[in-house]
Amino acid sequence: MALDFGFAEEQEFFRQTVRDAVNRLIMPRAQELDEKEEFPWDLWKEFAALGYLGLRHKEKYGGMETDTITQMIFYEELARGSCGFAMSAIMQILMGTYFIARFGNEDIKQRILVPAIKGEKIGTICFTEDQSGSDLGGTRTLATKVDGGWRINGRKQWITNGPIADFATVMATIDPKLGLKGLNFYLVERKTENRDGFVPGQRLHKLGSRCSVTGELVFDNVFVPDENFLGEEIGKGVQYAGEILNEVRVMTGMNALAIAKNAMDDAREFANNRIAFGNPISKYQLIREKFAKFWAWYEASRTYLYKCAWMIQNNIPCIHDCMLAKYHSTEMCMYAVEEAMRIYGGNAFCTEYPPQRYWRDAKFLLYGGGTHEVLCDYLGRIYLKD
Amino acid sequence: MIPQSAFRNPKFERECKMSNEIWVFAEQRDGKVRKVAFELLSACAEFSKKTGQEVSAILLGSGLQEAVKSLTPSVDKIYCVDDPALTSYTSDAYLMNIAPMVKEHQPSILLGGATSTGKDLFPRLAMHLQTGYTPDCTGLTVGEDGRLVAKRPLFGGKIFAEMIFSEAKPQMATVRNNTFIVNPNLSKSAKLISVSPKTDPSPPKKKIIGLEKASGARLDITEADIVVAAGRGIKGPQHFKLMEDLAEVLNASVGTTRAVVDEGWRDVKDQIGKSGKNISAKLYMAFGISGAIHHVLGIGTCKTVVAVDTDPNALIFNYADYAIVGDLFQIIPALTEELKRVLAADR
Amino acid sequence: MGFGHSKFGFVSDFDIRISDLLEAKMDIFVLVKQVPDPEAIVKVKSDTELDIENKYFTSFFDEIGVEAGLKLKEKFGGKVTVLTVDNRRVDALRRGISMGADEAIQITDPALEGSDQFTIARVLASYLKEKPCDLILAGRQAMDDDAGIVGPAVAELLGIPHVNAVVGLDVEDPKKEVKVTREVENGKEVLSCTLPALFTCQKGLNTPRIPQVMNVMKAMKAQIKKVDLAALGLSPAEVGLSSAKVKVQKYLPPPKRPPVKVIKEDFPDNVKTLVKLLKEEAKVI
Repeated sequence: MALDFGFAEEQEFFRQTVRDAVNRLIMPRAQELDEKEEFPWDLWKEFAALGYLGLRHKEKYGGMETDTITQMIFYEELARGSCGFAMSAIMQILMGTYFIARFGNEDIKQRILVPAIKGEKIGTICFTEDQSGSDLGGTRTLATKVDGGWRINGRKQWITNGPIADFATVMATIDPKLGLKGLNFYLVERKTENRDGFVPGQRLHKLGSRCSVTGELVFDNVFVPDENFLGEEIGKGVQYAGEILNEVRVMTGMNALAIAKNAMDDAREFANNRIAFGNPISKYQLIREKFAKFWAWYEASRTYLYKCAWMIQNNIPCIHDCMLAKYHSTEMCMYAVEEAMRIYGGNAFCTEYPPQRYWRDAKFLLYGGGTHEVLCDYLGRIYLKD
Repeated sequence: MIPQSAFRNPKFERECKMSNEIWVFAEQRDGKVRKVAFELLSACAEFSKKTGQEVSAILLGSGLQEAVKSLTPSVDKIYCVDDPALTSYTSDAYLMNIAPMVKEHQPSILLGGATSTGKDLFPRLAMHLQTGYTPDCTGLTVGEDGRLVAKRPLFGGKIFAEMIFSEAKPQMATVRNNTFIVNPNLSKSAKLISVSPKTDPSPPKKKIIGLEKASGARLDITEADIVVAAGRGIKGPQHFKLMEDLAEVLNASVGTTRAVVDEGWRDVKDQIGKSGKNISAKLYMAFGISGAIHHVLGIGTCKTVVAVDTDPNALIFNYADYAIVGDLFQIIPALTEELKRVLAADR
Repeated sequence: MGFGHSKFGFVSDFDIRISDLLEAKMDIFVLVKQVPDPEAIVKVKSDTELDIENKYFTSFFDEIGVEAGLKLKEKFGGKVTVLTVDNRRVDALRRGISMGADEAIQITDPALEGSDQFTIARVLASYLKEKPCDLILAGRQAMDDDAGIVGPAVAELLGIPHVNAVVGLDVEDPKKEVKVTREVENGKEVLSCTLPALFTCQKGLNTPRIPQVMNVMKAMKAQIKKVDLAALGLSPAEVGLSSAKVKVQKYLPPPKRPPVKVIKEDFPDNVKTLVKLLKEEAKVI
């Protein structure tokens, strides 16, 4: 029988377990984390000790090889706690370590991946530059072949975990004229006395996800040995990136679900208790409509996102579905956080109340995994061709 | 294999013939009968008017002359077991004495306070007697036929249930403090029946080796008539001095919320709410408590609730009788002074 | 070591194993229950039915029991088994395994529907009576029925001592007496107790560990052993609604308070008004 939309009992159990851990470790501190705008090292260590950073990796390196749906459940529950912490943790779990695990030799895996799974070394991935975001072909960080390795030159922007990263997977081009076909991934570590590497540049202060530290990474003629080339063939960087792009988009959608649900759950409690003109505002139709619209949209987003997770898990091609689901859920989230701000009325403007945090945290979803403008142009074009 | 006889005890499954006594376990501490027992005896006095039964108290302990004296106006009979071995409550010794008494006299109802002793003794006793028991009741009614209907909260107070019993006797229940009011006008003259204590020759498996009394002379929050509580709004353990001063004037006990306990400012014994204690005070005053659901369920059976908070939208106001939107640091000292003035004027 | 004689005639099985003499290993059972999440919405559907939101989790105090068992296992070695009576769910068992318990047992049988707490206790005692057992732990009450009956009732059936609302547990040598601290009104009582015994756990005894994801994965895949009435030697007539000693006649929503009176005056008049109302209107001071 096809079409079974329920989670298995074990998956519900996993969800409850993560939810409980998030409730205990992260929820009480979420507001403080946002206000302080510092990376929460103690929380990171506690969290790493539970083992979740190894969610996607092989047991032989200390991971636990879970399936895609389990991972998505994890991302959804984690983002409910603190979006900022989720950003850093998910970078470590997914983008920051994927290519190391995929293409790194055994020495690199032992030196980088194993401590990363324990939370001892922090990783990140570098795509964005000043002049290029969605447009990967605009990458200007240059990788020049030299004897025994490569020299990397350039600056990367908007790097999650950048200021504290120990290692990074860097997308660089061997020749800008080749466009997308010139792009490759390189492992670059942080510069130390004994080893050449990147240097953290300027720290960026963000509107939301503030406990996740973001900044610039500077590559000043950095030498990396041949083994740090992460790939099998030259020029296939974009293709390799495509291997995780679906997951990244669905993961972004999970963040959207979590933020939206938090925003509207808090708004529900507020609406049921806030009295205006003798009634709780939840009795008024214009308020009720907001919740109805959100609910319909949320359920649809959630179903589609988990369908995408299922397709990824079962190796069913789903590039467009993941783009559509990311677009759909993020737009839903934009609606939810906006409406939550309206429901709180004047109180929304005060930082003591939660909706402003959700509103701020949600904004980056518009850009992660491609801006909506780029996605829509692409998807529209695809649909019309068909 | 559990013997079949354990399940069907013919003595207790006779037809619904009402036995002629309602019993109350008159819990005593340091020779003084606890207030909840008097509340239950007053309630049973009312019940007995309907059913025509006698009301008896069972009293265990040692040096019980004062206790007996205090009970005499409130009951028709007192079954008293006076023995040094019973000075402090232990489930083994008390069960060993109470069970044979119950089997001999077959009361139709046996009630006790929902105290730490009651909640410890009654389930084990009920299992032993193969009879029904319902804990922590907030209401009782008795029909003319002697059938007990007990009302109690479930899911921490989200739902209430009326419980009824099978034919097994006695119908047992423990009842929360302040559910019933002590009737000061009872003027019975109890018949005292001394019962010889039962002892177990084998060494006890469990014995009390010490008692750590909580500092301060206040009653436990589950027993106090008036409870004043502060939540996170009090901003620090040192400010609880304000609460202590207020409690002093009202002869109240000081409670608190889970958030404060988790911060380490107060001990968990003072925690009101789902994983803490349910209180049934006559007057409950909440300062700087937002009113999270698990807390408000713990105060559901308090008669009068006062809430003070700076946030006019605080949920606690939905569960209060009187509310002031204000700063507790300003309100509490003023309240303490005003109460001192008004209560002194009464004397 | 098995249990001694009890009033119900369980004949003990004094099987002293050599390993018991050489090592202090403990066999610990923890009684657990899955209950609606504290945030779950519970409403009255009809006189005898409730509408409960489908969100279940391990009862709060039971987790404290599991943690206590695991701490003792870490100290002395041995085994922790989590045990539940439930026809539909095993969330608490999986939780126990994810925290580190070794085995999970689900007692389940259609005839158990409608059983009261005493029947549940009897069912549990039937399972436990033949097992090697040093200690049984339980929560002080379940978060759904708030009853606190099963623990002491199981202890009564097995003829072992019990201590309720335990906030301190000191085991130096499991073969000798253990020191237990229990919460009473306005203080703590310290007792010494022989094992085997049953303790119900209260908040403050410990902080349950957050499961490591390795153990969570293990719990997800765990095979849970099912035990039915026949395996316990019980007949359907002895359990279920017909054997219940207490039943629900009617469910009711919580009593509603009249709307709050907000005292609107400015300070200090509002304080004076409040005291006046408490004295003259509410008559509580």
